[in-house]
Amino acid sequence: MDLEEVKKLIKIVEKSGIKEIEIEEDGKKIRISKGDGEVGQMQMGYAPVQHHMIPQAPSNAPSEAPKAEVDEKKYHDVTSQMVGTFYRAPSEDAAPFVKEGDVISAGQTLCIIEAMKLMNEIESDVSGRIVKIIPDNGAPVEFGEVLFKVEPV
Amino acid sequence: MFKKILIANRGEIALRIIRACKEMGIRTVAAHSTADANSLPVRMADQAVCIGPGEASKSYLRIPALISAAEVTSCDAVHPGYGFLSENAGFAEVCGECNITFIGPSPESIRLMGNKSVARETAVAAGVPVVPGSDGPVESDEAALSSAARIEYPVILKASAGGGGRGMRIVHEESELLNSLKLVQTEAGAAFGDKTIYMEKYVTTPRHIEIQVLGDKHGNIVHLFERDCSIQRRHQKMIEEAPSGALDPEIRKKMTIAALSLARHIQYHSAGTFEFLLDSKKNFYFMEMNTRVQVEHPVTEMITDVDIIKEQIKVAFGLPLSFKQEDVSIFGHAIECRVNAEDPEKFIPSIGRIEELHLPGGPGVRIDSAIFQGYKIPSYYDSMIAKIIVHAHTRDEAIHRMRRALGEFHLSGMKTTVPLLSKIMYSEEFTKGDVSTRFIEDFLAKQKAASVHPK
Repeated sequence: MDLEEVKKLIKIVEKSGIKEIEIEEDGKKIRISKGDGEVGQMQMGYAPVQHHMIPQAPSNAPSEAPKAEVDEKKYHDVTSQMVGTFYRAPSEDAAPFVKEGDVISAGQTLCIIEAMKLMNEIESDVSGRIVKIIPDNGAPVEFGEVLFKVEPV
Repeated sequence: MFKKILIANRGEIALRIIRACKEMGIRTVAAHSTADANSLPVRMADQAVCIGPGEASKSYLRIPALISAAEVTSCDAVHPGYGFLSENAGFAEVCGECNITFIGPSPESIRLMGNKSVARETAVAAGVPVVPGSDGPVESDEAALSSAARIEYPVILKASAGGGGRGMRIVHEESELLNSLKLVQTEAGAAFGDKTIYMEKYVTTPRHIEIQVLGDKHGNIVHLFERDCSIQRRHQKMIEEAPSGALDPEIRKKMTIAALSLARHIQYHSAGTFEFLLDSKKNFYFMEMNTRVQVEHPVTEMITDVDIIKEQIKVAFGLPLSFKQEDVSIFGHAIECRVNAEDPEKFIPSIGRIEELHLPGGPGVRIDSAIFQGYKIPSYYDSMIAKIIVHAHTRDEAIHRMRRALGEFHLSGMKTTVPLLSKIMYSEEFTKGDVSTRFIEDFLAKQKAASVHPK
């Protein structure tokens, strides 16, 4: 789809009674929707920081996230104490240290964070049940990033 | 060219580097502490990585965290800015070992110039004048007495490991010498864990003149003239200008030649600054070299039209300097005022949230700052919040422009040093240009006297 086609589409939408149109072609998706007169309103100041460290590997279930978030407050966050690469297992062919649903005790190794070629074992600071493992295996993580959500027992 | 640069710094200099990278088409990653998560560089960089908590020792000074941040974001270079790890030879070395280019000089250059007595010896070897001194550490009371007699009082005793105004003492006559020596030794032992002391002649009313140089990895080295940074309080610069009113073409030539010969002597290949003292009889003495970009680099950029940060990045990549010595000349006059979040009378840091902010603008005004309305100044770092830089045809025009710019500066929510900077800009002493490193001390004393005995 080239620019001319997009312009044509915009004109069509403008003149028509429809509010929004979405077209998918060769894997590219375009959505044109008529605003409600809010176009051109300038936002002063700075929006909160959106970008995260690394474009996360595409997760195939982004819409599933809210269901685990419902009882957010009762979960304990195990966060990363360093910048590095997150690994769930001690080596590529080994079994992961923990899986979602596992019951763990404080001091148990949950994962490895590699920083400057050093493998740092990360231990849990609470006992409980792993509700969610946030980063993908091999994903870069930053200081303070949530790694595990644990339901304390 | 580099694909992606990790900015291992914060505040205005992080933003300055990001701006240069954006214009060069290089992607940036802001390495930041939790205290700076909402800072402007974090918002302006292409990516951001949190490297640790607010304390600098656990974030901006943590070499493993920074290297790991560069590795996980696939950066091919690191820019250290000023302060923090910018003059840490170990950091430069680790970067090299990890195949990340350190945007700065070689670890050897940093090491050589980082140790004051080695730097002094190197300067002597390169034929650059240094302040007459003890030629090495003061080993005994007898040695102290004979050195002082040779170089003549007043003398200054300095801790070899000292810096930033700490670990030094001025001695005016022989009777004070041995007591002062013991005091400085004790202070140095307590503060730096190193009791090594050396002695220098104390130059009474010097100017602080520094020469900016730029070198590449092909053996080219140029100077970008001088900056006059005499207006300082407790060795912290407040106002810098270029060119200096104290240099005539002849002395300027001598000083730039000295800086270049020293730079060549150590095969320097980055941006660097040679600091000199200039006495009232136009004798100049090498003090130290800063092997990094400096806070006050913008005044040089204004009068030479050279982008020091961009050149620094290009030469670090291995490109030759984009200009030759004969291509640069001094155009007009530039002044920089450092605005600190401090009480302008008591100099106590004034921490808080910026409620209202209006920064100066208009012709010839440049602001290098990372503050914005609603910004909360973290208590972990230094109090400089903005640099106001003006450029005009003459010094007189530049002073008038700075007065206007400071008048336009409006910030509520905390105290700043703007009122003091403004008083200096309007003062007869500054306007006449008869300044020395004692300026602020004398100026503040006069202010105090005037407030006690109003006319």
